[in-house]
Amino acid sequence: MSEAPDLMHADVSRLEDIVDKSALAEVCRSFFELFSIPIRVFSRDGALLADAHETRAICTYVNTLSGGRLACSALVGEVKNLDPEGTVEHPCFTGAIYRVVPIQYQGRRLGRFVVGPYFPAELRRVPGSLLVIDDGIDGEKARRALGEMPRVREETAKRLSDHLTRILDLIIFSGHRSFLTSEMHVASVRESFRALAEKNAALQEAYDKLRELDRLKSNFLATVSHELRTPLTSIIGYSDMLATGIAGELNEEQAEFVDTIRGKGDHLLALISSLLDLGKLEQGKLSLSLVHIDVPALIEEVAKTLAPAAAKREVQIRTSVDGSLPIVKADPVRLRQVLFNLTENAVKFSPRLGTVTLSVRGTEVDADGEGDGMGLVLLAAPKNALELSVSDQGPGIAAEEHAKIFDAFYQVDGSSTREHGGTGLGLSIVKRLVDAHGGSVWVESEVGKGTTFRFTILEADED
Amino acid sequence: MQLDFKARELTIKLVYYGPALSGKTTNLQSIHQLVAGDVAGRLMTLETKDDRTLFFDLLPLTLSSEKGLQVRVKLFTVPGQVIHNATRRLVLQGADGVAFIADSQRSETKSNASSFVNLRQNLAENGIDPAAMPLVIQFNKRDLPEIRTDAEIDALAARGKEPVFKASAIRGVGVLETLLGLMENTWRHLEATHQLEEKFGVRTEPLLAEMRTHLGVKTDPAPEARR
Repeated sequence: MSEAPDLMHADVSRLEDIVDKSALAEVCRSFFELFSIPIRVFSRDGALLADAHETRAICTYVNTLSGGRLACSALVGEVKNLDPEGTVEHPCFTGAIYRVVPIQYQGRRLGRFVVGPYFPAELRRVPGSLLVIDDGIDGEKARRALGEMPRVREETAKRLSDHLTRILDLIIFSGHRSFLTSEMHVASVRESFRALAEKNAALQEAYDKLRELDRLKSNFLATVSHELRTPLTSIIGYSDMLATGIAGELNEEQAEFVDTIRGKGDHLLALISSLLDLGKLEQGKLSLSLVHIDVPALIEEVAKTLAPAAAKREVQIRTSVDGSLPIVKADPVRLRQVLFNLTENAVKFSPRLGTVTLSVRGTEVDADGEGDGMGLVLLAAPKNALELSVSDQGPGIAAEEHAKIFDAFYQVDGSSTREHGGTGLGLSIVKRLVDAHGGSVWVESEVGKGTTFRFTILEADED
Repeated sequence: MQLDFKARELTIKLVYYGPALSGKTTNLQSIHQLVAGDVAGRLMTLETKDDRTLFFDLLPLTLSSEKGLQVRVKLFTVPGQVIHNATRRLVLQGADGVAFIADSQRSETKSNASSFVNLRQNLAENGIDPAAMPLVIQFNKRDLPEIRTDAEIDALAARGKEPVFKASAIRGVGVLETLLGLMENTWRHLEATHQLEEKFGVRTEPLLAEMRTHLGVKTDPAPEARR
């Protein structure tokens, strides 16, 4: 994941990578317009990055002479190739001067700029080196052409190039700064992404492992339940036979013992059946046979079935059917199981002389009403549904428990199993069965104010 | 560290690490003010609107040694805010030495510790053994009230491994000492791992003495807190 060494040290190797060329050109142009002195900027390897000049009369004249042309191109080549550590003044045979200044940045030489040619103000006469450049040179013409050249004092030339050095440094600095900002931006995003991707992979791996464990658990549960049920059926069968006296008359005490074996066997069988149901539901293996249901008849039947058990606790079961009901399709056995589980629970937790109410009514639900509520008004399609509820006047359930009570084996108060019996699977099975019907189940309860479980089943599509 | 034999150029990267608002940028600003212009370059800050470091601050120092070796020292700060961890890890890449800037205020003790744990994690993540990284610790903001006392820090420093410096970066106190302490530590480590004297003929003691002169510190920088 190592970055390029330049970014690691925030270094610059090439001037052209970081300077804004048009800004550079503009600075040179404006410098030239102000002082009439040509200026060129070169990178370290000699590439011309900016150039502001006009050809001088003397240069034009010299280049009309063959000797002058040769000497001029040789000199220009020399100047171009200069890469000095410090400022140098390179003389031209015309007497003019090229001032070559290195461009240093953060302790590195990145290039150079060349100021000139200009004529030193201190020089008064046409230099001999110009007059010997070609046999055909006209001294008077050369003198006039030289006169058009800008004259600059050495001190001024130094100040001008110092000034330019500072401006270039600023241009390089701000170019470097924005270069680093964008590079760092990209690198930071890439690094964050890398770290996140790594974390995601680790999470996915952990998730896969957990899912596999969950699958193993379900398999185990199903196998064990099945293996337990087989011998248990025999135990119950043989105790039945003993009770009917097939193997001889039992005395009172023996009959009582056999009854206990039988009762506990039934309880165990119910528990194992629930486990098997749960296992099937978890694996999505439960198949529902959906038919039209006469719901009022169903709740009457459930109430009647549980009436004896309720009577034992002096609890009354009431039913209520509210208005006209939408037609629903459900698996009658499973729907009965849901109502049975809920009502049995309600009876179990009712106080003496309490009332359990089974109600059914028509309602409307938002079929796509889940999610963050954004655009809900557009997305939700209200659908008719059947709402069934089972209310009791028991101790109630605290709000923080509401979400957990549908978990398998969860019981609000662990001690209630001992007091009230039950497997801790009832509500979990209820939830899974309602889910399997495409409905939803929830609880409304407060401590001390009784509990109402409600669930909905969507109206059947017309077919 | 980056060596360029041809250019006789050596680049050393020193990183100022620490919790948010402990004064890392202020350290660099002070150094920038205290050190002569031909040694310190322009201080570059890549920051947000509200002056919080976004990517890093950078102060380049250029020193030349006796035998014409150019020693470029680049001082970086990391962004201290917790969310910028990816950037911190990037800036830490290629560091030759780390100055950990702690906030002396008693209330900041915990964030100092968690930033230090974060430093070790990020070094490890970058494939560097934290124990092998030259390190100095600075207790900054000595000018504030409600700070951990000198006695407390000295007692802990005597038990710890790293040199500990006390500073008030905003007043320019102790920052050069911290920098020199880190330079010294880093150079000795680089000398031990890269044999710079053998390769470049750069002797450690004259170089360090030169650095002291360049940075304008006359006395021996070793603080009494060092073991």
